[in-house]
Amino acid sequence: MQITIDHITIDVQAGQTVLQAAGSAGIPIPSMCYLPGYSNHPSCMVCLVKDLNTGHLFPSCAMPVSDGMNLSASSGDVLDARREALELLLSDHVGDCEAPCRLSCPAFMDIPRMNRLIALKRMEEALRIVREDIALPLVLGYICPAPCENACRRKKIDEPVSICLLKRVTARDAIVRSTGLEKPEKFTGKRLAVIGTGPAGLAAAFYTLRRGHACVLYDQHEHPGGALRYAIPDDLLPKPMLVADIDSIYALGGEFRLQCRVTGELWEREILPGFDAVILATGFREEYPVEEFGLPALEKGLVIGKKSYTSGKTGVFGCGSIISEQLLAVRSVAQGKMAAMEADAYLTGKTNIRRKPFFDSVIGPLMTEEHKEYVKEATKEPRTDPSQGYLAGFSPDEAVREASRCLHCDCRKPVTCKLRIYADEYGVNRKKFAPAIRKQLTRNLQHELVVYEPEKCIRCGLCVEITRKEPELLGLAFVGRGFDVRIAVPFSKTLQEGLEKAAAACVEGCPTGALAYRSEK
Amino acid sequence: MSQNEQNIHAVVDQIVAECGSSTEAVILILQAIQEEFNYLPDEAMERVCAITEITPSRITGISTFFGQFRHRPAGKHRIRICTGTACHVKGAMQVVDAFRRELKLTGLEDTDSQGLFTVEKVACLGCCTIAPVIRIDSVTYGQVVPERAGEILRNFLVHRASIKEETSPVVSTGSNGQGEIRIGLGSCCIASGSSEVKSELEKTLVDAHIQVDVKQVGCVGICHQVPVLEIVKPGEPAAYYAKIRPDEVKEVVLSHFRPEGFFNRFKTDVIGLFEQILKDGSSGSVRRYQVEERDTPVTEFLGPQINIATENRGVVRPTDLEEYKRSGGFEALSRCLSGMTPQQVIDEIAESELRGRGGAGFPTGKKWQLVKEQAATQKYVICNGDEGDPGAFMDRMILESYPFRVIEGMIIAGYATGASEGIFYIRAEYPLAVSRVQEAIYKCNEAGLLGVDVLGSGFSFQIRIFKGAGAFVCGEETALIASMEGFRGMPRIRPPYPALNGFRGKPTLVNNTETFAVISWIIRHGAEAFARIGINGSRGTKVFALAGKVNRGGLIEVPMGMTIRRIVEEIGGGIAGGKQFKAVQIGGPSGGCIPASLADLTVDFEALTEVGSMMGSGGMVVLDEHDCMVDIAYYFLSFTQNQSCGRCTFCRIGTRRMLELLEKIRSGKGVPDDLKMLEHLAGSVKQGSMCGLGKTAPNPVISTLVYFREEYEAHLDGRCPAGKCTPLIRYSITDQCIGCTKCAQRCPSEAIVYQPFEKHEINQELCIKCDICRQVCPEGAILIT
Repeated sequence: MQITIDHITIDVQAGQTVLQAAGSAGIPIPSMCYLPGYSNHPSCMVCLVKDLNTGHLFPSCAMPVSDGMNLSASSGDVLDARREALELLLSDHVGDCEAPCRLSCPAFMDIPRMNRLIALKRMEEALRIVREDIALPLVLGYICPAPCENACRRKKIDEPVSICLLKRVTARDAIVRSTGLEKPEKFTGKRLAVIGTGPAGLAAAFYTLRRGHACVLYDQHEHPGGALRYAIPDDLLPKPMLVADIDSIYALGGEFRLQCRVTGELWEREILPGFDAVILATGFREEYPVEEFGLPALEKGLVIGKKSYTSGKTGVFGCGSIISEQLLAVRSVAQGKMAAMEADAYLTGKTNIRRKPFFDSVIGPLMTEEHKEYVKEATKEPRTDPSQGYLAGFSPDEAVREASRCLHCDCRKPVTCKLRIYADEYGVNRKKFAPAIRKQLTRNLQHELVVYEPEKCIRCGLCVEITRKEPELLGLAFVGRGFDVRIAVPFSKTLQEGLEKAAAACVEGCPTGALAYRSEK
Repeated sequence: MSQNEQNIHAVVDQIVAECGSSTEAVILILQAIQEEFNYLPDEAMERVCAITEITPSRITGISTFFGQFRHRPAGKHRIRICTGTACHVKGAMQVVDAFRRELKLTGLEDTDSQGLFTVEKVACLGCCTIAPVIRIDSVTYGQVVPERAGEILRNFLVHRASIKEETSPVVSTGSNGQGEIRIGLGSCCIASGSSEVKSELEKTLVDAHIQVDVKQVGCVGICHQVPVLEIVKPGEPAAYYAKIRPDEVKEVVLSHFRPEGFFNRFKTDVIGLFEQILKDGSSGSVRRYQVEERDTPVTEFLGPQINIATENRGVVRPTDLEEYKRSGGFEALSRCLSGMTPQQVIDEIAESELRGRGGAGFPTGKKWQLVKEQAATQKYVICNGDEGDPGAFMDRMILESYPFRVIEGMIIAGYATGASEGIFYIRAEYPLAVSRVQEAIYKCNEAGLLGVDVLGSGFSFQIRIFKGAGAFVCGEETALIASMEGFRGMPRIRPPYPALNGFRGKPTLVNNTETFAVISWIIRHGAEAFARIGINGSRGTKVFALAGKVNRGGLIEVPMGMTIRRIVEEIGGGIAGGKQFKAVQIGGPSGGCIPASLADLTVDFEALTEVGSMMGSGGMVVLDEHDCMVDIAYYFLSFTQNQSCGRCTFCRIGTRRMLELLEKIRSGKGVPDDLKMLEHLAGSVKQGSMCGLGKTAPNPVISTLVYFREEYEAHLDGRCPAGKCTPLIRYSITDQCIGCTKCAQRCPSEAIVYQPFEKHEINQELCIKCDICRQVCPEGAILIT
């Protein structure tokens, strides 16, 4: 038996579904509600394909193949229909992929994850999370104005979590700092110059070094740190803290050429021939006219490609105040990382570097009634004041106490949620079908391992079938019909009673974050 | 264990012993439990799980899927308010509000504080011609006005003791030479008081010692004139008495029949004379129509009709097997069994070009052929009587009135396809249909027409009834089968079609009730005779429930291809109250609104689909200038949205988002982009939904957007031209007000400021737009703008 999908003819066997046939031929079709061995599908309708003979769309996961089928899995109308299915699902989906604090962080640091690891006293892992996005945790632990705390949902309930101090605490221990450095496993042999050692330059160096490139940092001053050292008073940022963060760059193998101003002549003679790539992080344009390097610039600064951080010259990147005036050190740090990533891609020949942010489902402000759902998992304690004062920061116990106030606004399946993956892939407009009044969200925490958030559920019923197959004594059931249908434990019993054996299988099977593990693994 | 729990366990154990303990029995068990407790106590369901194969997950899924089941105790009496199409256009929502107000219900409450009454909305009670309709327990009230809600409740409480069960058999006084009196006892007739007429009739006959056969016949179809008495005497034309009242029965009967014996006659005459005097002389209110007279409403109504599915309408007793046989019943079956091979039967049906009457119009012969060709030893025949369309009651009427005809059709289908078991799937909301079919099956079994070796032919066929628990989506055949198997009524993708893989995985023929009802006629008269009726592509007749704003509503059977205009004007007698004919809604929630400008359109499968409607199950609701098309679209969509099984994304969420847009437009908050989005979404839902419910749900919206776009646009400007959408209208009092205070006394929200004999005024802040003031005003001084 043969069928044709997108002009590719495939040999198929009777009893196969179109989705299986397409899969065997390597034709990608998205699918959320289908799980091999289960039969509740189709429900999500994101696996639609088109029968070219009739012009009808149908869900490929449930349609058995028949000889001579001629299908399209990639025409514009098919993609549009799949996108609309996703948009409709999202219009009924209440949940944040990422927490508001993270979204408001210029460096997009995974704050809630850091908080949870601190609460579990896993400080080294917490620091790793911080360093994913922030190269200078101690520095920013002192001077960051913390836009994240302004966005913290807890602010509406009592006071925001003291995120900035928590971040500082992760990097305070010298041993933790050095063991958690994540040095590269191998070196690429590529050489990169960073001009300027302010926040942007230090961050750029930090991430290029971690990628295995050799890195030389040039600075005209006697000591590295740029504005961090020379513009910020000691009572805001104690010098030993700056030094400790810079030490990490030394520890990663960074080479510093201090008291060395890069002039046009040095640029031509040493930088261009001596390095495979350059990152300009010189600070304000007035102090560092880049024209002398023959690079195009406007009044506000060096001209770079939007989001590519590439200047007019191949292999030369720019970040920090040289591209436009930066008021926040954290933004410079973030740009340093971005420029480093771009330089890394350039040096290793990567072409498919992702520049746009990943898709995010965003709830917006909570309803007052929803506050109680959020505080279920957090401690009721008020915001912790460091007993030894702000400069000293949190003691380990205080840090744990404060971190435990975090509401876990982020989704527990930010990477595996199929709704997010396909929403991103199909470029959906999440607001297209958004209702005027959204559903009120709830969190079911009756189970010791699992959290159930019904407003993230797409009603595919996989969990119902999983509990039936296990078999669970009570299991899960569809309750109601139509738009109001929901998944619940029969006879109003608790989730703990419903999922005695199948909790893990349900979490694995659930295509969204509706059923997820409660805590960090 | 508490005493209460022990009781529950004992009851459940008994029920399970009777219904069986397989998963398929789950609906039957739940129906029995609810019958016992009037809701489903958790303890009872847990007990079921403990002693049967049924799991907690399944029983929860099923009991919350179907509308029939309650999870909270209900009041002593159930008030079911019909919100079907015909009732809706006649103000059913205001009736709902009135009863809720009367019982002081707020929010989600449905039962009053004393636990006496529970108010429920139901999709359709199938009494469209006497809309709006409510049913309290087994008593049906027609033409209910909101203003009378309190009165109806008091009337019910006073009279409930004397109200007999509607299914009580009519006493036949035995056949004799004097002729017979036929009385229609369909659900509509009963709702209009035919039970009372019947008791009065029996009393009169007994008192006057008249020996005449009283015959309880099925639906007469003239639903707008019910209750109807038909008097048939040998050698005389039949006489119809329409809208007859119990107090008129005696006079009518005595004008036709003489009491036996001189003394009785004398006594009757004397008493009759006195009664006449006391009753203010004339009996002018009795409208008597004789069929022989031309141009009477009855002949106009009946004349253009052809009765095939409704053959012998108003003549035969529904469950009288002998009479059915005398009028040609089971001739077709014996002809098939004795002289035709199964293939010949199928060929005959195929040649008649009969198409399924359930809505989609699949060729019946082809479907039978498919089932026949399957090699399986076990096959099933299912009669789809899960009529859930608000505004259609053909299946109910056919099952109530002609159960033998449907049974005969099913046996023939069984013979032709090689099936040995037939199942009636009938809505539990149709108790009369269930009991009549039950009785007919029993009689057929007794007579050897069912069971082993039917009529000595060697062919065996059983029939049983499955009571559907109230889900519109179960009209879809795969959902219907799922619910029979003990699953939630969720459609699945086709193929495989039930003809190949149906009930219990076996080849299954699913046909609509009306389809089965025409089979015997085709066999008796031949395929050619059937194919001569109707037009190319749509042969034979179609039964419609004609309701709404026509003068004469009722159950009609017309040849395919008749124009809408003939149906509305000739059969329906035009629009009631001299209003303007605006549109006709055909096909219920799956159909569309056809504007008056297209009235010359023929009614057939293709023509209807072309204009964005569809045959559907045959609801035909006529709309006039006071019907708002946005409101109609909202009404139908809220029905389908509510009835969506919730499986696929487009139907579950898409129809909801469409409804929200319509609500926005209806309340005057819409913007032009909303119309675009509505249209767009309608297309997406139609294209992307999996089953027929979702694929057709946008039809009422699309067709009104096409033909009545200016009305949508008026709503965007904050106007409802028909004066229907409450957020956009206001009630005021004109100078015609005489200051009688009637409106103020009845106003439930005390919104009317009044001084006796002075013009009253309506406080707009307090007005809830219940329409009661307009209904009670003797001067027509209430203005809606």
